[in-house]
Amino acid sequence: MKARTAALAFTVSLALASSALAQNWQILEGARPGEPTGAVSPAQPFAAQEQPAPAQEPPVVAQAPAQAPASAPAADQPMPVIDETALRYFASQGDTRRLEIEIARLRALYPQWTPPADPLAVPESVDSLLEAIWMLYSQGRFAEAREAIATRQMNDPNWEPPVDLLDRLTLAEARERLVNASNLDQYETVIRIGSSNPGLLTCSEVDVLWRVAESFAMTERQGRARDAYRYVLTNCDNTAERLATMQNAAQLLSAEMRDELLALERFDNAGAGEFAPVRDNIARDALAAAGDDDSLVIDAETLARVERLARQGDGASDARLLGWYYLGNDDAQTAEELFRMALEREAEGDAAEGLALALIALDRFADAEDIVYPYRDENVERRGVYLAAAANLLAIEPRVVLSGDVLTRIVGEVAEARNAPAAQQLGWYARAYGQHETAGQWFASALQFDPEDEASAYGLALTRFQLADTAGLAELKRLWAGRSERIVLVGTPQAEAAPAPPSLAPAGSPSPASAPSPAPAQAAPLANTEPMTTPLAYTAEQPVQQAPPQAASVMAAAPRPQAIQQQAPARAAGGCTQTLNPESLSPASALARGWCLMDINRPLEAAKAFEVALRGQGDTARDAAYGQSLAYLRAGLVDEAAVAAASAPMTAERAGELQANILSERASGAFEQRRYVEALMALDQRAQIAPERNDLMVLRGYAYLNLRRYGDAERVFQAVAGTGNRDGLRGLAAVREQTGRQR
Amino acid sequence: MKRHAVAAAFLALTIGPAMSQSLPPISEAEWSLYSSRFVTQEGRVLDDANDGISHSEGQGYGLLLAQIAGARADFERIWTFTRNELLLRDDGLAAWKWQADATPNVTDINNATDGDILIAYALARAGAGWEDPRFTEAATRMAEAIGIHLTFEHEGQLLLSAGATGFSAEEREDGPIVNLSYWVFEAFPVLAELAPNTDWDAIAQSGVALAARARFSDRQMPPDWLSLAGEPRPADGFPAEFSYNAVRIPLYLMRGGMGDAAYLNGLRDGMVGDDGELNLIDLTTGDVTETLSDAGYRIIPAMISCVVDDVAIPSDLQTFAPTVYYPSTLHLLALSHLRENHSGCLE
Repeated sequence: MKARTAALAFTVSLALASSALAQNWQILEGARPGEPTGAVSPAQPFAAQEQPAPAQEPPVVAQAPAQAPASAPAADQPMPVIDETALRYFASQGDTRRLEIEIARLRALYPQWTPPADPLAVPESVDSLLEAIWMLYSQGRFAEAREAIATRQMNDPNWEPPVDLLDRLTLAEARERLVNASNLDQYETVIRIGSSNPGLLTCSEVDVLWRVAESFAMTERQGRARDAYRYVLTNCDNTAERLATMQNAAQLLSAEMRDELLALERFDNAGAGEFAPVRDNIARDALAAAGDDDSLVIDAETLARVERLARQGDGASDARLLGWYYLGNDDAQTAEELFRMALEREAEGDAAEGLALALIALDRFADAEDIVYPYRDENVERRGVYLAAAANLLAIEPRVVLSGDVLTRIVGEVAEARNAPAAQQLGWYARAYGQHETAGQWFASALQFDPEDEASAYGLALTRFQLADTAGLAELKRLWAGRSERIVLVGTPQAEAAPAPPSLAPAGSPSPASAPSPAPAQAAPLANTEPMTTPLAYTAEQPVQQAPPQAASVMAAAPRPQAIQQQAPARAAGGCTQTLNPESLSPASALARGWCLMDINRPLEAAKAFEVALRGQGDTARDAAYGQSLAYLRAGLVDEAAVAAASAPMTAERAGELQANILSERASGAFEQRRYVEALMALDQRAQIAPERNDLMVLRGYAYLNLRRYGDAERVFQAVAGTGNRDGLRGLAAVREQTGRQR
Repeated sequence: MKRHAVAAAFLALTIGPAMSQSLPPISEAEWSLYSSRFVTQEGRVLDDANDGISHSEGQGYGLLLAQIAGARADFERIWTFTRNELLLRDDGLAAWKWQADATPNVTDINNATDGDILIAYALARAGAGWEDPRFTEAATRMAEAIGIHLTFEHEGQLLLSAGATGFSAEEREDGPIVNLSYWVFEAFPVLAELAPNTDWDAIAQSGVALAARARFSDRQMPPDWLSLAGEPRPADGFPAEFSYNAVRIPLYLMRGGMGDAAYLNGLRDGMVGDDGELNLIDLTTGDVTETLSDAGYRIIPAMISCVVDDVAIPSDLQTFAPTVYYPSTLHLLALSHLRENHSGCLE
């Protein structure tokens, strides 16, 4: 309180000084142009009528109100007695700054007045009582100053307080009242005090102008609020205050009025605008609003601004905001990039949720499940996204083998959330591996979670048929008679050939394309658990053909772009992050582990896992050979890759692909060792089995260049450059430089 | 209107130039004891029994006592605080509650009607007594605001609401509820001069009539808070008690020259203890809930005996010695009235 009032006193005296010196904002409604404003200044005051004021003529000779002491005398009037009390007081205090302001103020009031040659040498005031009152005033102790004035008047009925003192005290108290009222949202009081104290509405009291503007804005007088802000932006020069003014205005005014004020922006020599932070926030808000309302269109400038903020800044929130925007605009790839950027900068749930949704949209369900798992408990949406990722992951056709860890946690979450779609997917997943008991439990659970889930009932019917549970099947048929023809037909010759994959969408999104389930006979049973009330986890141990996922594409919950700040739990470990000797694994498990390790970019360990898997039969061995080659290639071990590729027969397509990869690696390796002829040989070999990519053609060009086969180099670079490739152009330039130097 | 004219004459007589020539009914020494204890440097009146908060009622009392004591400089100080810190509401009324350790300091923007009336009344007296138009102007603005925002018609009576929000029939099941101790009777004729658009005399009469009806338990005492939803009864959500608020009802009646002898005697009999102490009463049982023995409380039944029956005030009550803010205030209000109008009881 004391610090505040002390600071207040200081600003007040400043304000008073400048109120005399400079123009002030005229709040009085109904004031007429040219009327006295209280400002003894030739500058044009701002008039604050509800109706736009007519263009004002600056008063030729400004007049002070009748009661104001600081009346500027006409030039031909005799010099009045100048009250130098304040000046002496500040001088005696050594307060040169306020002293200078006071001198400037008196000069403005009395042009004929000459300040003392050495103001600091002004003799001590003989009126120590008055000096004490000035001290109370300057310390913001207004009640005591008033008391002291009254005391002195009672003791000395002939004494009149200096008008200057009363004037300043009145204004300082008005400022305090206005601030107090503003802090209590008493907007009419704020406007009333501002109206009757125009001396407060100056550039040195920008805070007061803000409070008046806010009061107008909060009482449905946006135009008047805008005028107050415009006054600041037109007349006041303090950079920080100008920016804060614009920030306040942007919060309280309509977009139209805000933009009107933005036009008052000033620019530095480099062309940078002072309102950049405001424009940044406007762009952010627009993007966030577009996330809430798809019908809003974002202009390119806004998008570019937030892109710049996200990519050049180091905070996570802009990247998240942009991620949500792209996700909402069906650009999951860019959304993924941005959410990853955000997650790297700050590991938290909102970005993880966005990233999971992007990955779901990109059919990368395993990644999605893994990313959002640590955050699943944070809120309902996040849990929904997790379950959607899990259900999609389970529904991938052909089924993928999930690690025990992943499967266990999915099972736990599905049971806890009592989520019917995901439970149903666990049923189909178990069924795909011939685990009919378990499948039956999951279908039954899904029906518990949602008794109207026909697809689960159908799954259960198929399972009961499979397990020859005729009584159970009959019961289901009875329950669903008239509601599901396919359930009624299970086990009959008219039955559907295969169960349709169900819809998983938590938000009721469209059903995925149907695909036949694997025939039960072909899938060996999964390691099952004992029957319990809650279906338990499975561990996957069966060989499954590794194939590019052709997932039932499931749209998960719609993205929500609000940033949610929550403490992020640690990332969950992936399914193969723990170090393990693959020798202990079955070939099938080793194969799965190999792919898993490839997924987390640990190719050398993957190669070892594939080595174990190579001991398997048929497809397992073929997949393992393929995997190991890829692993070696990724690790840069080209020769090992070539050996691995030969270790088991594989399809012509895969063999070709591997061979091409091996040859390009060889070419790059040879080039790096400056064995340009070998590099060209490898490239030639490769060209026979696969079209040459631009990067390899560039490599070929430089090989020619290094062999001084300029003509060949130029031809190759020309071809590359023809596709618009910049490396081709650079190559051409390099050729020309070389040949030029030769000449 | 006749009453107003009389009141105006009374006002001119009591607080006009005549007063400045005679000793004020609160001595300089008494005011000094009071103000040094309960008024801060910044002009804030401390409710020291209530966590040292300040409120519009306290500021009003401080202003009134300073004015009665002729302490003009202190009045300036208290008024400056009141105006800058409390008189901030859009409707021109004072926020009622101020706490030193809160930001903002006003912790409840609602008003308390007795605070507004006391402030306006003290300002009016100061403006007239010291011939200072600043005070008269401020008093007028407040009187108008009180008339506009704090009066309401109920069953043909013009009444005072306890505050701008929270007490009406629309806002409470048992509303409207009123506080009879907010009827500062002596203020109404003065406010009538300043804000003639409100029928202040009707308000005074309705207060007297309501006080006569609102008597509960075998002791027949008025409650602090009164519901007027049906037949008058103690309001819900407050203890059904004759308590710290209502002890002022007889004081204000006597200071305002209102209330008949039988009514005042009835109140005295209901509140006074065997040794002249003041009893607070549970109005459902008639039991004593608390016995107050500060001089500022004891002087209330003693003052009734004086005003009605010319019984002398016990000598220990004739000397002011501050205890805590509230009874000390009541004590000075009682003493100043007795000195001006019943000096015979003080011999």
